[in-house]
Amino acid sequence: MLPDATAIDKALAAIGSAEVATTTLGLEVRVEAGEILAALEALKGGQHDFPMMVDLFGIDTGEAVDIVYHLRSLSRDEDIYVRCALPYKGELNSVWNLYPAALLPERETAELFGLTLAGHPNPKRLLTIEGIEPLLLKSVPIRTVEEVRDR
Amino acid sequence: MSELHDTTYEPGLLAEGTFDPGEKPAGIKRIPRGVEHLATEHLVVNVGPQHPSTHGVLRLLLELDGETVVNAEVVVGYLHRGIEKLGEHRRYHQLGTLMDRGDYMSGIHAELAAAMAVEQMMETEVPAKAQWLRVLMSEINRIASHMVWFGTFGLDCGAMGQFLYAMRDREALVDVLEAVTGQRMMFNYVRPGGVLADLTPEADSAIRTFLRTIDGYLDEHDALLGGNEILQIRVKGIGTLDRETAVAFGLTGANLRGSGLGYDVRRDRPYAAYPELEFDVPVGTTGDAWDRYTVRMGEMRQAVRMIRQCIDGMPEGDVMAKVPKVLRPPAGESYACVESSRGELGVHLVSDGSDMPYRFRYRPPSLYSLQALEEILPGRMFADAMMLIGSIDIVLGEIDR
Amino acid sequence: MSAVLAAILPVLAAVVLMLVNGVVLIYMLRKVLGHLHLRYGPLNVGPKGIVQTTADVLKLLSKEDVTPTGVDRWMYRLAPAVVFIPSLMAYAAIPFSENLRITALETGLLFTFAVLSLVALGIIMAGWGSANKWSLIGSMRAAAQTIAYEVPLLLSVLPVVMVVGSLDLAEIVQAQSGTWFGVIPKWFVFAQFPAFLIFLVAALAELNQTPFDMSEAESELVAGFATEYSSMKFGMLFLAEFSNSFIMSAIAVSVFFGGWSLPWVPDSVIAPIAPVIFVLKTYVVIFFLMWIRGTFPRVRIDQLMTLGWKWLIPISLGWIMLTGLVLKLGELGGAS
Repeated sequence: MLPDATAIDKALAAIGSAEVATTTLGLEVRVEAGEILAALEALKGGQHDFPMMVDLFGIDTGEAVDIVYHLRSLSRDEDIYVRCALPYKGELNSVWNLYPAALLPERETAELFGLTLAGHPNPKRLLTIEGIEPLLLKSVPIRTVEEVRDR
Repeated sequence: MSELHDTTYEPGLLAEGTFDPGEKPAGIKRIPRGVEHLATEHLVVNVGPQHPSTHGVLRLLLELDGETVVNAEVVVGYLHRGIEKLGEHRRYHQLGTLMDRGDYMSGIHAELAAAMAVEQMMETEVPAKAQWLRVLMSEINRIASHMVWFGTFGLDCGAMGQFLYAMRDREALVDVLEAVTGQRMMFNYVRPGGVLADLTPEADSAIRTFLRTIDGYLDEHDALLGGNEILQIRVKGIGTLDRETAVAFGLTGANLRGSGLGYDVRRDRPYAAYPELEFDVPVGTTGDAWDRYTVRMGEMRQAVRMIRQCIDGMPEGDVMAKVPKVLRPPAGESYACVESSRGELGVHLVSDGSDMPYRFRYRPPSLYSLQALEEILPGRMFADAMMLIGSIDIVLGEIDR
Repeated sequence: MSAVLAAILPVLAAVVLMLVNGVVLIYMLRKVLGHLHLRYGPLNVGPKGIVQTTADVLKLLSKEDVTPTGVDRWMYRLAPAVVFIPSLMAYAAIPFSENLRITALETGLLFTFAVLSLVALGIIMAGWGSANKWSLIGSMRAAAQTIAYEVPLLLSVLPVVMVVGSLDLAEIVQAQSGTWFGVIPKWFVFAQFPAFLIFLVAALAELNQTPFDMSEAESELVAGFATEYSSMKFGMLFLAEFSNSFIMSAIAVSVFFGGWSLPWVPDSVIAPIAPVIFVLKTYVVIFFLMWIRGTFPRVRIDQLMTLGWKWLIPISLGWIMLTGLVLKLGELGGAS
């Protein structure tokens, strides 16, 4: 289940910002937002072989939006989580060229966290219509119907 | 009419935004008179959100050249309820209620994923009996869900009878689920720490009655629909997803196994009482719609096998562990996944130590299956499009959440 | 006066027959499909729900007749009539018994097929006039399908015509009286079995029935050419469909199942109830069509075309040649 941390560390040696850590979740790699493509590319091919993107989602940490890429190696049945922090209203670089699985989740994440989508073939909103606030940000509260009306 | 609209229309959420319905799809243009003006053009049809075969509220924009699909785009979001956001404002044991409303066809699996994610963080020891009950209910729910898929698959290709035959079998299972959980769809049965209730004697006998007939019924289904030459020429060789494509699009469940990759969460990352059960994982060969069909039919038979083992091998004991009334998992994260009827259903929880999750992520398998649809549709006939929607088996409730 | 009355009465009879038939057939379809599908069909309106269809017709009549904006008005309004009238005309040549038929046409068989093929014209008009994409696709499918299956349909009855030597439906029926070896009735379904199979498949396609219900495939095209129709315009399209399946079944009974005659019983004995026997036989064939409808999935349009052009037409041509050969050999044998 847990990949070999040292091997991952070595594979990501070229990426300066990569930090490998083991948490309650499993093996996590944190990289700078600019280097996410390079990191995913290093992990996808070669001996590390994480061909499958299980999930892509965001977390509003209070200072930034953390984008989590959940990758899986089917041959060894190992999971790895790659994270990068994006500023609010920042730009989410599409990784669909590497992982086509990211096509729809990226649109969803960009829309629900108020990010703009770059390099995506179809950067439209996915779930909500224009004018809806980025729902998953902590700064957007849940309102009752009355509150919405009186706003 | 317009007056009525003016008086009752509430701006609500749209008040501040500028609502733009987007570009209107191209209608049929009247061709100018005269033979010299005759020309062909592609037809853009808008399949759904209200259409007999879009399985809910999926909207599909298809560009047709005659009967051939040139381009396809899926449009979703008609059922968006913000389940992930709501989850951040519910206590941990209330997550199951939300999960039920995601994948409404296989609620037990969805609840189980949420419960397991909480248990992982709390490090709760779940009683053995509860684990077996979880498996039993999961498999009953799996057959019930696959029966809906089977019936609508028949409907998609015009065989109306199969739908009602499948509903007969589903009805028996839904009755069992009702007897055990009290609900026919939104069960809220699997809770963090165990399950809600034990099997009642009536439910037990209902399951045994069901098991006596189901083998014959499954053979009948297989003969009626799968054995039909017309269905076979319709689905064999269409919508082929090879292994690489299936993995690249993040497909899981029967869609991935149809492509020949035997990855099953129940076997490869065993949870609940699955390690103690014997079952096979049906795998396809080429990854076309027919393979996905046979894999799902095989899964139903395996589920029946597992239900038999559960009924015979059910241990005695409590169905609920001792858990506090208000769950406060320590700060941290957890990911739990189960094999739902549609694939790997995952729940990613981020806790900050309070009684409500900081972030609650629902990984919907249907969303990932749906992406592959855009890939396999172009080049197929229009009639195939409906079969392909049916063959990847999506539930819009979990795509939109 | 009496001449006018004599001319009008058969037409009125045909109209009444068509309407009553429609009502009965819709009720029958619901009941048959219901029981095939493990349900009951209509139950509550009248005993066993027999008044259900009548109530539905009344409902259709009382509904608002919506004409969507943007339709081609004349095409849209004419189409139901163009579908309905040929269907009505086709009753003209059906031989309910030796004497009971509206007109004694020498070319009855050809006339019926010719008239029925006009229905496709109405469907195309409906599809184009509705200015709806589903309707358009549905009507284009109907056009392709009708052209493709008209040929094998006619070719399939040709061997029978060759054997009988007449296109008159009554004569074809009379040619089937008697038995072989006192047991097997001399129905053409036995002697011309391949022709019957081709006829059955082509008739299903011609009637837009499952598994060839391309033009209104409800899981693909919502309701096909009838999508935009409401009220009695829809009722007429619907009624014409049932009437067509009655006519096609009646032709099948006349050509392949000995018409009004019963095997092993002399015609003179059953003469008073001959029309009843004919209608009952027709209903058996219709039941068979409904059975197929309740069970089979639908083929794809390209598979439908392949089946028609590449299989049915060559096979029926081959069968015609074989029949001709056997006839000629029999003639030579008889002459020598």
